[in-house]
Amino acid sequence: MRSTRTTLSGPAAGRSSERSARAVLALAIGAQSAVAACLGPLAPPIPAAHEADDTPRRGGVLRLASFQDVRTLDPAAPTDALALQAEHLLYAGLVDLDEHAQVVGDLAERWEVEDDGRTYRFFLRPGVLMHDGQELTAEDVKRSAERALHPATPDPNAALFEDLLGYDAYAGLRADHLDGVRVEGRYAVTFRLRQPDVAFLPALATHTLRPLCRSAGDRYVDSWAPCGAGPFKLPPGGWQRGSRLRLVRHEGYFRAGRPYLDAVEWTFNVQVAAQRFRFEDGALDVLRDMTHADEARFVADPRWRPFGGAEADRSIMGESMNTRVPPFDNVEIRRAVAAAIDREHYRMLKPANVTVLTQLLPPGLPWREAFAAGQRYDYPAALEHMRKAGYPYDPATGVGGWPEPIVYPLYDQGLLVYTAQLLQQDLAKIGLRIELRLVSWPAFLALQQRPGGAALSQGNWEPDYPDPSSVFEPLFTTRSIGADVSYNTSFYSNPRVDDLVARARGEPDSHRRASLYREANEIVCDDAPWAFAFSYHAYEVRQPYVRGFDPASAWSMDASGAWIDRARDALSRAIGLPAPGEAGALAGDRVAGRARRGGAW
Amino acid sequence: MTAHLARRLAWCAAVVWAAVSITFAVDALLPGDPARMFAGPEARPADVARIRQQLGLDRPPLVRYGLFMRRLVHLGPRAADPTPPSGADHGTCAVVLSIGPTALHVDLGKSFQLQQPVARAIAARLPRTLALAVAGVLVQILAGAGAGALAGLARGSWLDRVLVGASLIGISAPTFVVALLLQYVLAYRLRLLPLDGFGSTLGEHARCIVLPAITLGVSGAAYYTRIMRDEMSVLVRQDWIRTARAKGAGAARVAVRHAMRNALVPVTAAAGLDFGALMGGAIVTETVFRWPGLGDLSVKATLNRDGPLLVGCVIVASVVVVCTNVVVDLVCAGLDPRTR
Repeated sequence: MRSTRTTLSGPAAGRSSERSARAVLALAIGAQSAVAACLGPLAPPIPAAHEADDTPRRGGVLRLASFQDVRTLDPAAPTDALALQAEHLLYAGLVDLDEHAQVVGDLAERWEVEDDGRTYRFFLRPGVLMHDGQELTAEDVKRSAERALHPATPDPNAALFEDLLGYDAYAGLRADHLDGVRVEGRYAVTFRLRQPDVAFLPALATHTLRPLCRSAGDRYVDSWAPCGAGPFKLPPGGWQRGSRLRLVRHEGYFRAGRPYLDAVEWTFNVQVAAQRFRFEDGALDVLRDMTHADEARFVADPRWRPFGGAEADRSIMGESMNTRVPPFDNVEIRRAVAAAIDREHYRMLKPANVTVLTQLLPPGLPWREAFAAGQRYDYPAALEHMRKAGYPYDPATGVGGWPEPIVYPLYDQGLLVYTAQLLQQDLAKIGLRIELRLVSWPAFLALQQRPGGAALSQGNWEPDYPDPSSVFEPLFTTRSIGADVSYNTSFYSNPRVDDLVARARGEPDSHRRASLYREANEIVCDDAPWAFAFSYHAYEVRQPYVRGFDPASAWSMDASGAWIDRARDALSRAIGLPAPGEAGALAGDRVAGRARRGGAW
Repeated sequence: MTAHLARRLAWCAAVVWAAVSITFAVDALLPGDPARMFAGPEARPADVARIRQQLGLDRPPLVRYGLFMRRLVHLGPRAADPTPPSGADHGTCAVVLSIGPTALHVDLGKSFQLQQPVARAIAARLPRTLALAVAGVLVQILAGAGAGALAGLARGSWLDRVLVGASLIGISAPTFVVALLLQYVLAYRLRLLPLDGFGSTLGEHARCIVLPAITLGVSGAAYYTRIMRDEMSVLVRQDWIRTARAKGAGAARVAVRHAMRNALVPVTAAAGLDFGALMGGAIVTETVFRWPGLGDLSVKATLNRDGPLLVGCVIVASVVVVCTNVVVDLVCAGLDPRTR
């Protein structure tokens, strides 16, 4: 449907084309220069106003951004990592996690464990005010738990609490109330379990059962306006879907003097380049989404290095081998893969984000140090395992190995595309030929989680709560293998591991519990349903005026203890504007950016 | 004429129905589990199964298709009530026409991911996409037709060469490169315009739309420059143009009233198609500039296997495309009576 007319022809056309080509070349060079300018030196950090003083200051707005969006702010609905950042500020729980990912009391000032770990009785702090001004009571705890676990609620984490007494009857609509949660007075509530469960407390620290205001009602509705007992609350109009979220300080928060910030603001769907522009301008306070190149520049820049940090290693990445599909139904082949992967190469891809992982638990999880056994890169051993498997491979001649190519589905996620290529190279050295096949994320999940699906695929897991049970149980127990869908993606089944993991779940003695998990870890590492490879952590850079912000806290981007210590720039002082980020700083961001570039900092 | 229009409209309905049905079929055939996508990759199988039931995905695709088509257009109460006591749920409906005590409802279902009625999600974004499409096409036509007319009239001159060279770059430059360059130069360096976003007041909307509109306008304007230039350079040599000049018409009148009017016919046809395509969503531009339109919505619907949202976006896009085609036919007939 475009033009059908002819263009110039003959010598005149030749001259014209030549001149046009020159013009095009000149313009292209100009465009290239402009692009290159984007890679110019990083702007200097904006200093704190009181660098030597660590006393928290009240006031200010913390501005964050993400290239993603949040779907919901209801803790009982399917959520994502970004929404968790906001939910953690909106909703306080009976218990929470401290900076070392240990369970501590939050709304509950204390609790008692009875009946060999089957009963947890919580005593609430009196006088805790919810965002609607009502006092938190045990009834709110029970109502919120029943709302979250009701079968009409699309809660993807309900099964975490399936051991509560009466869960099956309640989930099957045979009971109106959840028998396992009982109110025992205005400030006392009891959770009763079918069997002892040491992991109940860390599971309760997740957001799923956090108490909600009475406006949430007994049943889930998607139009409910978020309301809880957290340090920040959602003001009217504070959430513009797909665009912006603003939470303001809950003045009635039960921890006196906290939080320090007036508000926390997220801007969503912001591309990484725009985020960097904003950050350098001082219009964004913490930068998390970066290109590989930008991240390397921030890490390398001595001005910025003190203000960069990595979040705790919580994820587990590796190669999941389907133990029911050849050739990985042969344990020697799996051991060969585990020994053939040079994990250091993975780390070198993104040193600021990757920690080598040789066993089940990532460094950010408790007890990791107790697990010495693991998988190691050992090329001669890998060749030996191939020989034992019956598929010897001669690296000198390239003869031998598994005769068929092995399809490796992967989805388009930067780092994983690179690690897949490293895997391909490593396994080629032991006679396993990997055929990479790029698919969509939904197709990848379908292939990986379906029985008889992918033989080899990239495994990725982040524990729901900081306890080894949240790794062992979903990934390596027979119970997690579903008829249609399985998230034990290696379809690994070992009665001994099942037994150890089940016993560990109810073992109150931490030494004996660690011993049970240690043995399970040794078996899994040796059976190698996964070749553990690395743990991934995001790298964040903050402006120096953002204080009290710990990137390695138990909760990602936890702003609950942060404060802003930003000086007013010269122009703002001259015209009486507050410091950028302070309450009412409206367009001050841009003003500040200009002034700073003029040398006011 | 009326019969012709009726036939065209019937064809339009058939095209929309076909587009919706194909989308439904493709969505059902694609690998991947929408319930898993909704619940997240780490949700327990029991939770995924429950959510699948809640979303109605435990029913066969044909049953879902039948239910959807039955509910797509129907009569209901004047106002869509999210919690009616009667049990007849119109909470996901959009009322498009009130007829006495009843009203014509369009029910596009509920988005899996957004957990809100598709009609509401689309209604919130459609005006923004419309604004961007109109602005983008305006930039394309004004810049493209203007530059093309100048180049055609001054064919062979330095101006012609500059404009043709610029149009070549405009056509060749990927949208994301143009977008990033504009963002970097005009927003970040010169601070003339916002980096991205939509704004919250009319004035902010107007400022925010400039960069995405120019981005969309660059490649389209480049095409229109080429079309217009070729059309104009041929038309100005036609006998009737010479006659107009001989009768004493001024150069501007000849160029604008006689030549340009005819040269605009193919540009109008192309602009109509471009407008329809943009109403489906300018995906890259909307993404880079964080413009909350239908393009971003439909991409997310596809990636997340959000069937109701995807079908809703397809319905809107196909309705706009077929309607635009009808309008373009009418406009072209107005510009050139020979095409009637």
